[in-house]
Amino acid sequence: MEVIKLQNIKKSFGENEVLSDINLTINKSEVVVIMGPSGSGKSTLLRCVTFLEEPDGGVVKLGEHEVRAGEPLNKQRKKSLRALRQNTGFVFQQFNLFPHKTALENVMEGPIVIKKVRRDIAKRNGVALLEKVGLADRMDHYPVQLSGGQQQRVAIARALSMEPMVMLYDEPTSALDPELVREVLQVMKDLAKEGMTMIVVTHEMTFARDVADRVILMDDGVIVEEGSSDAIFNHPKEERTKRFLRDVGQQKV
Amino acid sequence: MDVSIIIEALPPLLKATVITILLAVVSIVIALILGFFTALARIGKLKLLKFIGTVYVSMFRGTPLLVQLFVIYYGLPQINIELDPIPSGILALSLNAGAYLSESFRAAILAVDKGQTEAAVSMGMTYGEAMRRIILPQSIRIAIPTLSNTYIILIKDTSLVSVITVTELLQMSTLIIAKTFEPLTIYLVAAVLYWIVITFFTVLLDRFEKRTSRHLIS
Repeated sequence: MEVIKLQNIKKSFGENEVLSDINLTINKSEVVVIMGPSGSGKSTLLRCVTFLEEPDGGVVKLGEHEVRAGEPLNKQRKKSLRALRQNTGFVFQQFNLFPHKTALENVMEGPIVIKKVRRDIAKRNGVALLEKVGLADRMDHYPVQLSGGQQQRVAIARALSMEPMVMLYDEPTSALDPELVREVLQVMKDLAKEGMTMIVVTHEMTFARDVADRVILMDDGVIVEEGSSDAIFNHPKEERTKRFLRDVGQQKV
Repeated sequence: MDVSIIIEALPPLLKATVITILLAVVSIVIALILGFFTALARIGKLKLLKFIGTVYVSMFRGTPLLVQLFVIYYGLPQINIELDPIPSGILALSLNAGAYLSESFRAAILAVDKGQTEAAVSMGMTYGEAMRRIILPQSIRIAIPTLSNTYIILIKDTSLVSVITVTELLQMSTLIIAKTFEPLTIYLVAAVLYWIVITFFTVLLDRFEKRTSRHLIS
């Protein structure tokens, strides 16, 4: 069953075409890893999914919600944009936790403000989510009192608090010290095992190999090759893919 | 220097200090509201509001407070708008400080990391919710030091209101000197009183800043 469908997504920054006509369908419980050299458009694609970046053209479908690029920002569109965003959890490279709120308050904020969930219920759910990412004992800490890995795990819990249909990760471990990467990947792995639908932009090749149902290689704003992680890593067809894998040290020179 | 003169002059000077504090507090409250909405207008998308905000800030930052005071108190009666000295003073002070504060607020709102808005919006918050819940609480903390500064200047600027016959601290000092012929003593006492008032508010605002920064101490 398809959860999210991107059709003909295009995006340019000035003269520079970052995405040219991307089409992508993701099924329920599928874990899709997007890789590619920097500047290949993978982060922009992810940001276009929730219209953090407005595409120049194309359609994003999520369940029964549909948002078309380039339509005027009227009430109807604002509503469908909100619906799209409420149903996608976005995890940022820089975490972007709310620094004036504790870990628990960060996780309670969305449900209380957006879903108008009662405070005690939001709190109970928030504690459960922090337990899930292994941080129940840190719930009263402010972000600045947490390590990068802990902050990113809170950020994942915050995204989960809205009970999204799909989780989007934009290089979730790139800002972390190497020794903190594992704890974040572990949380993501557990989520994948529970059947969460995920799109992950990452340079973590081991994660892609172990967890991804499908791996996509992007370059110059197009999807160069896609396939199972076995197909991409062990039997890449495209010259561009082989070169990329060589560059990141995943294939013998 | 005669100590008895100080003791005699102190009660009326203290009373005048209360007027000074009153002018400053009422003006800063109005200026905060004015500055806040002007900042929102200038950041927002509505062109007309943006234009009005920009003109207002430019006018009141670009002309001397004393001239603004004269226009309001001596000028407006010519078109049949007559205000008493104290309301005139408060109006001029708050319009003036509001223009400066709007710039502080604007800078403070823009200083909050763009990722904060993105995080809020990506969860499904409206622009208004993101502003209220996420951006403004953080920008207030950023704005406090410059807000402190503006407020200190405002307290000092209340002395200008003496020229439109408001009997605040400076005007009262001048009146007392007319009787006692002790300008050095009386003006020094006035200076000390200003200093005490300003120090009091500085300490208060410093504490407030520390309180709002609690979450930044690891």
